[in-house]
Amino acid sequence: MAARPPLSSLRRQPAVLGLLAVLLLVLVSTTGLKSVQAVAAEPVPIRVLMPAPLADAVAGPVARFNASGSGVALEVIRGPLDTETISDLAISSLLLGEAPFDLLLVDVSWLAKYVAAGWFLPLERWFGPEVLAAMEPGARLGNGLGEHLWRMPLTGDTGLLYWRTDLMERPPRDTEELVAISRDLQRRGRVRWGYLWQGRQYEGLSCVMVEMLQGFGARWWDDATARTVLDSPQAVAAAGWLDALLRDGVSPKAVANYAENDALQSFAAGEAAFLRNWPYAWREIEKGGGPVKGKVGVTSMVGAPGEQGGGTLGTWGLSLIKGSPHPEEAVAVIRWLTGPVVQRQLAIEQGYAPTWSRLYDDPDLQRRAPLLAVQRQALRHPQLRPLTPAYAQLSDLLARQVNGMLTGQAGPDQTMATAQRQSLQVLRSVAGTPGSPPGSPPRSP
Amino acid sequence: MRTRSSSLLLILPALVLLAAVFLYPLLRYGWLSFHASSVLTGLVPVPNGGANWGRLLDDVRFWTDAGQTLRFAICSVALELLGGLALALLLHRPLRGRGPLRALTLLPWALPTTVMALGWRWILNDPHGPLNAAIRSLGGSSYGFLSTPATTWFFVVLADVWKTMPFVALLLLAGLQTIPVDLEEALRLEGASRLQILRRLTLPLLVPYITLAVLFRLAQALGVFDLIQVLTGGGPAGSTESLALYAYLNAMRFLDFGYASTVMLATFLLLLVPLGGGWLLLRRAGLERTTERAA
Repeated sequence: MAARPPLSSLRRQPAVLGLLAVLLLVLVSTTGLKSVQAVAAEPVPIRVLMPAPLADAVAGPVARFNASGSGVALEVIRGPLDTETISDLAISSLLLGEAPFDLLLVDVSWLAKYVAAGWFLPLERWFGPEVLAAMEPGARLGNGLGEHLWRMPLTGDTGLLYWRTDLMERPPRDTEELVAISRDLQRRGRVRWGYLWQGRQYEGLSCVMVEMLQGFGARWWDDATARTVLDSPQAVAAAGWLDALLRDGVSPKAVANYAENDALQSFAAGEAAFLRNWPYAWREIEKGGGPVKGKVGVTSMVGAPGEQGGGTLGTWGLSLIKGSPHPEEAVAVIRWLTGPVVQRQLAIEQGYAPTWSRLYDDPDLQRRAPLLAVQRQALRHPQLRPLTPAYAQLSDLLARQVNGMLTGQAGPDQTMATAQRQSLQVLRSVAGTPGSPPGSPPRSP
Repeated sequence: MRTRSSSLLLILPALVLLAAVFLYPLLRYGWLSFHASSVLTGLVPVPNGGANWGRLLDDVRFWTDAGQTLRFAICSVALELLGGLALALLLHRPLRGRGPLRALTLLPWALPTTVMALGWRWILNDPHGPLNAAIRSLGGSSYGFLSTPATTWFFVVLADVWKTMPFVALLLLAGLQTIPVDLEEALRLEGASRLQILRRLTLPLLVPYITLAVLFRLAQALGVFDLIQVLTGGGPAGSTESLALYAYLNAMRFLDFGYASTVMLATFLLLLVPLGGGWLLLRRAGLERTTERAA
C-alpha cells in the first residue's frame, strides 16, 4: 500500500473505489486483526460480564490487578443494571455458542438453569472442599449442584430486617413481636405504618415468600422429590401472616405495589417502624441524611415464635464459561476477584457481605463495615430459593398468586393451593415426566 | 393461452415459499407443543401428554397477557385511526409547504422502533426525564410513568400511536387523493356543509383504505414485541407484557421451547379471532356502503 494513486483520479471511478474499499476491509479483517491479536497475545485477555453496579464496584481492584503484571488483561464488561436483563443478555450470547466473555457473575437464582444448559465448567479441579469450608455457612450454599462446584461466591448478601432504634429498645424476636410492636407504635401515633416490605408482583416478592415460608416452618421446594410443597398448612400460615399485615393496617395496602426502592424511600422518610430489604439499604439511609439517619438498626429476618427465621440468599459469584480459550487464566481471575482483598474493599465501600469467615473476624473491618456482625448472623440461617432450572417460572407464578392475595383476589388457602397446582403443571410441562426428579438433586459440596 | 394447470404452475413457487415460511413453522410449533423441550430435557423434545396445553389453560400470565395485548391493540389502533384521519385530512388540504410537512410527518414512522422506544424511555424517565422535569417546573411532583403498573400501559400506547399514526395517515392520504374533486365540488354547490361532505362522501369512499389500515395495524399491534421489550421490558409487574413477549421469554429466558411453542401457537389461534372478526366487520360495512351508493 506504499504507492497510493491520488484520490482525485479515482473520483470518477466509483467501481474501482468500491473494490478497493472491499479489498481493504478484507485485508484488515483477516491479516490485520490476526497480527493485532498476535501482538496482544501477551497478556492473555480475560473478559467478565457483570451487572453495572458490581462492575463499578470492582473497577478499582481490576485496575490494580491489570497493573500488577500478572500476565492477564482483565476486562470487565458493564452489563445492564437489572438482574433479569443481564441474564437475558448472557443467555442470548450463550445460546449462540460463542460467548464474548470467559467469566460470568452469576446470581444465585440463575445457577440451576445455566448448569442444566451445560454452559459452565466445573470448578472443583481448582477449588477443593477446603476453600468453601473457609467461608460462612450461608455463603457455601448455591454454588454446588449435583457432584460439582459451579460458582465461587463473591458476595454473601441476604435479606435483612431494619428497625428503628429511636422507637424501640431492641428488635423483635419473632413475627408476633414485630406485629405487636408495630400496632403499639401505630396506636400511640409514633409512626404511621408498622412494617414495609416488597409485595409487588416480581422476584422481590418471591424472596419475601422464601423468608416467610421458612419462618413458619414450611418449604417451597422439596429436593428429594423435586416438587414444590406450597400447600402445606405452614405455607398457608405464612401467606396468611403477610395477608393479615395488609388487612390489619400494619403494612399499607400500597405494599402490594412496592419494590425494594419504594419500601426504602417510605422507611427512610420515617413513615414506618420496620423494613425488609437488602444490605445496600443501610448505606442509602445513612447517605441520604433523612429523618431516620442514625436511628436505624439491622437484624436478621424473624420467623414465627419457635421457628428459625432467616434472610433469603441474594449472593453473586463467578462461573467459568465452557469454551473459554483460557480457563487457567480465568480461574486465576476468579481466585483473585473472589479473594479477601477485593471482598474487603467491597464490604467497606459498598456494604456487600463478604463470604470468607476470616474477614468477619477482622477487627479493623468490623469497625469500618458496621453491618458485618448482623450479616454474619444472617449467613448462619440462610434461605435458599429452589435450586431448579424452572425456578424463574415457579417464582413468577408464586409472586403472581401472592400478589393477587395481597390485592384481595383470594384468601391464603386458595392462593397457595392454586400456586401448588400451577407449579406441578409447570414442572410437568417443562420436565416431561410428572413429579419425578428432573435431574440430579441439588446438593452443596 | 391460460389454463388452470399452467396458472397453478405459475403460483407454485409462491405456494412453496409460503409453505416453507408459514406452514412448516406452524406444524413444527404444533408438534413441539405436545413435548417438553427445555434445559431439563437437555433441549431434546420429550412427549409430555398435552401438559403444555393444560398448563396454558391455567396460566394466569398467559391470559393476563392476552387481555393486555388486546387492550394495547384496540386502544392504539383506535387512536391511530382518529389521529391518522385528522392528519390525512390536514395534509390533503392545499397548504403552503405541504411537501416538506408531509415528509416531516412521516419521520416517526421512518425511525427504527428500538431507537424511538429508547427515546420515549428517556422522555418518561422518573425523575430525570424531560416530561417529569416539565411537571416539576409547573409545581407538580415526579410521576413514575414507567413504574406504575396501573397506568404504564397507556404510555406504551402513546409511544406506539406517535410512531405509527403517520403510517395510517399516509394510507388514508392516498385514499383521499383517489376521491374526484368534482364530486366534492358538486356537493358543495348543492349546499352541503363540510361535516356533511366528510360524512356522506369522504368517509364512505375511504372505507377500503380504512379497512386496509386497520387490518395492517391490528395485525402489527397484536403481535407487538420490540416497542414493549425496549420501553418497559413488559414491566412494571408484567403490566405491559404482550403475548409475543411472553412467548419470547419462555424460549430465551426460561429456555423452555416446548411451552414457548405452545404459547406461540395459542397466540396465533387467538389472534385469528379479532383479526378475522375485524376483517368481516369492515368488509360488510364496506360492501353496504358501496351498495348503498349504487342504489
